[in-house]
Amino acid sequence: MTDPHPASGALPLPPPGGRLVHVAATAPFNPHIEEALTETQKKVYLADQLTLMWWKFRRHRLALVSGLLLAALYAMILIAEFLAPYNYEQRHTGFIYRPPQAVHLFHEGRFLGPFTYATQYRLDMETMRRLYAEDTSRPVPLRFLCRGDSYRFWGLVKADIHLVCPGEGGTLFLLGTDRLGRDVLSRILIGARISLTIGLIGILVSFTLGIVIGGLAGYYGGLFDLLVQRAIEIVQSLPHIPIWLALASIMPPHWSPLLVYFAITLILGLMDWTGLARSVRSKLLSLREEDYVVAAQLMGAGTGRIVFRHLVPGFMSHLIASATITIPSMILGETALSFLGLGLRPPITSWGVMLNEAQNINVVALYPWLILPVVPVILVILAFNFLGDGLRDAADPYH
Amino acid sequence: MTRLTRRLFGLGAAGLCLAGRATALRAAEPREAPALAARVKEGTLPPLAERLPAEPRIMPLAALRKMPGRHGGTLRMLMGDQRDIRFMTVYGYARLVTFDMAGDLVPDILARVEVEAGRVFTLHLRTGHKWSDGHPFTAEDFRYWWEDVATNARLNRSGPPMPLLVAGEPPEFAVLDATTVRYAWKTPNPMFLPALASAQPQVIAMPAHYMKRFHARHAEPAALAAEIKAAKVRDWGALHERKSRSYRPENPELPTLDPWVNRTHPPAERFVFERNPYFHRVDEQGRQLPYLDRVEMAITASNLIPAKVGAGEADLQARYLRFDNYTFLKEAAKRQGYRVLLWEQGNGAQVALKPNLNAADPVWRALFRDVRVRRALSLGINRKDINEAIFFGLGREAANAVLPESPFYDPAHEQAYARHDPAEANRLLDAAGLARRDLTGTRLLPDGRPALLTVDSSGESTEETDVLQLVAEDWAALGIRLFIRSSQRDVFRRRILAGQCVMSVWHGMDNAIPGPDNEPEDLAPTNFTQAEWPLWGLWAVSGGKEGEKPDLPAAWRLHQLHAAWRVSRTREERAAIWREMLAINAEEVFTIGIVNRTRQPVVVSNRLRNVPETAIFAFEPRAYLGAYLPDTFFYAEGGG
Repeated sequence: MTDPHPASGALPLPPPGGRLVHVAATAPFNPHIEEALTETQKKVYLADQLTLMWWKFRRHRLALVSGLLLAALYAMILIAEFLAPYNYEQRHTGFIYRPPQAVHLFHEGRFLGPFTYATQYRLDMETMRRLYAEDTSRPVPLRFLCRGDSYRFWGLVKADIHLVCPGEGGTLFLLGTDRLGRDVLSRILIGARISLTIGLIGILVSFTLGIVIGGLAGYYGGLFDLLVQRAIEIVQSLPHIPIWLALASIMPPHWSPLLVYFAITLILGLMDWTGLARSVRSKLLSLREEDYVVAAQLMGAGTGRIVFRHLVPGFMSHLIASATITIPSMILGETALSFLGLGLRPPITSWGVMLNEAQNINVVALYPWLILPVVPVILVILAFNFLGDGLRDAADPYH
Repeated sequence: MTRLTRRLFGLGAAGLCLAGRATALRAAEPREAPALAARVKEGTLPPLAERLPAEPRIMPLAALRKMPGRHGGTLRMLMGDQRDIRFMTVYGYARLVTFDMAGDLVPDILARVEVEAGRVFTLHLRTGHKWSDGHPFTAEDFRYWWEDVATNARLNRSGPPMPLLVAGEPPEFAVLDATTVRYAWKTPNPMFLPALASAQPQVIAMPAHYMKRFHARHAEPAALAAEIKAAKVRDWGALHERKSRSYRPENPELPTLDPWVNRTHPPAERFVFERNPYFHRVDEQGRQLPYLDRVEMAITASNLIPAKVGAGEADLQARYLRFDNYTFLKEAAKRQGYRVLLWEQGNGAQVALKPNLNAADPVWRALFRDVRVRRALSLGINRKDINEAIFFGLGREAANAVLPESPFYDPAHEQAYARHDPAEANRLLDAAGLARRDLTGTRLLPDGRPALLTVDSSGESTEETDVLQLVAEDWAALGIRLFIRSSQRDVFRRRILAGQCVMSVWHGMDNAIPGPDNEPEDLAPTNFTQAEWPLWGLWAVSGGKEGEKPDLPAAWRLHQLHAAWRVSRTREERAAIWREMLAINAEEVFTIGIVNRTRQPVVVSNRLRNVPETAIFAFEPRAYLGAYLPDTFFYAEGGG
């Protein structure tokens, strides 16, 4: 094979110890001079990185489904107030601890469209239990794109349009109500907004810190690396729960729920970057010894270019994997914090807050539907893990 | 002689005559508890007649609407903390004198009490009464406590305890004979007997024969040094304190007069209390009480207790059960063979809001000192909604006031500012200088800040937070935004005293079924733990050395009335003081009661008898279960 790029003898070498000039030939280079590719072959062999990743990813069915599910969930939280049949704070004193209610289509053999039956309420004075029964003589058709409880869309715009509302005099508690008679489904939907985004924002913080600090430590080594390592050890040795306790207690109670929410994501992010920084550093330590890095250095590339153009793609798959594992751990972190009563506080709601309210024997024994927020938590975490699995495989398409 | 004296005297005399009849019965048929019969036969325990006092206290079971029982059986209870073994002292409720159901003082361990002019108290012991180790219980035990403990500089640095001081003056103590002691003050001391009858009693007698071993004045120095070393404590004072602790019976060797005696050294997961073979009460047939041989107290996580009770792990349980557990407990009742009784809470309010009149924030402090603001906040609460939503409508929508069982009950006090009247509330707030509002409708404080009111809670019950959430909705209609801050009990107390907390949530007055003999301590500034006026309370309790002098006329009047109660001579005088104090509290709304008489579930094994179906569950003056005489509870035929 003849060399298409004969070494240019025209450039003089710098004096020993001097800086090399960054040289890359500008002339077009065709590696397929010898053997031309067919169109089909071209499509495969010359496919770019993203296409290859997509092909690989597509073959991982579970990851694909998980990805779609997550996309749907994240799309949903944009319009959660609209999707929720009730305002999540609305109490229904007459329907406390009402079990999930079924939607019917046929009434006495006749198709009515979706409807619910009116509820009969009876207090069992013997066991102090509120008993609800369907009044099967009174179907109440559901209304769609209707006016219901008013809410502030995104906390800003006042509105009262819902995707679905109960008919006049009827109710629509698809997942039951809690101890104050609030609709569990509406609360799960609104709570998703907090629970799902807390992971993303938290990971943004922890990734920024982790990659920048870990990357610099790994690439430069030396004193900086030493300081960063010791700092990481200190941060990692801090016990999490007492720190959360301390941080939660210094948050003033009159902070708006939104501010509390950001503070919590910040706390989660600040506690979480160390692991990532460590792995980024060790990856960099090994990768920076690779020949192509030496080549890039010889070609005169700067630190930023080497780290972000040559090194980071080298462990992209690793980053993706740890991101997709960190998001669920952030979600779980928020859930755990709120479950312990350290995180978000009512009236703001998240899945963790809901589970916190459900942690007693009464709920397990009598009102099991209040544990339902566990279902989305499990689904989201599984989905993230499958998605991460697929993405990691896809990020390394030749493997 | 006062009416109280005559009453005590009369009962004492009745006791004597009943004792005579019981002795005859006992002679006819020995009523030894089977659990002790073997030990008597072996000769390790004297026979019953020698163990009982010459005149035991005979419990008139029929008059108490109880059945005569049978001996035997183990009662299982659950507790959330090792320190909860103190509840055995509370439930046992054996005191020198006790409160009866009518709120009157009756002698129990004592045979009789004579009171002269409300200031000279002569206590007559039962002849032949013995400690749980068989050693006689005599005047020497009172002398030991007074001379070697209460007035000992090492053991009580600040001198004798409060109930024994009148205006700082200790009593003149005298031993009249082996079974008679006398405490004489220069002026009346209405605190003395109620303190002895309290659920957490004032100790005035200690088993001298046992405790002398740990006392520097009596013990041999070498032996004492060895004991101090073995117990790993600093000095003999700490050793004495530890060994003598009777309210929390941690020392199984300590002789006691209670119905059951702890047999387990802490730390332990399970404490066993065995019957006191020398207990001084008998039933009308001459059976020595208690009927139950043993009480087992298992220690577990408090939040697991409802679940464990539902799994049938307790025979008698009230503590750590909450009203919202009722449905769950009831569902398991048939399967586990217990019944769930609903007793009534005996505090003035199950949930009460306490505006801090000593708050550090000057603006809120000034506002809360304005009675219009306190009344408005009370009127702004929709108590009916809260009662329905959280208490099944079973509670009573009421201010923090006494219950109908008390002779001082007045429906007008109970309903004072307890109706829901947002219009009137808004008018009062406008008049109180809160008329300005911001864009969202929140009122502005006089200094321009929005009216954001943070309510501190001890974070111990979700019930409180639920109620607060509903109150928050009600107060939003008044233009006041409520935020909840949950902390932990110690932090909560500290924040209150430091004035950091503007308003807190707690329960209402502890004793809402008071008689004139109960000290009206909840109604006046008397203690720094009072969240509505911690600094005034500190001032009162420190004798004016710390805290602040109450400078609100109504609070000062309460302080004076409380002081007057403490030097009162007659019951009538005390009753009049109580009435005036209750009227002031109702009118001034120092605490905002929301709902009272809510229910307390009490789980009782189906085989357990003599537990009242309905009763008031209160620490004071009922000692929770104590006043209902757990020593008379027994297992019906068919096991034990």
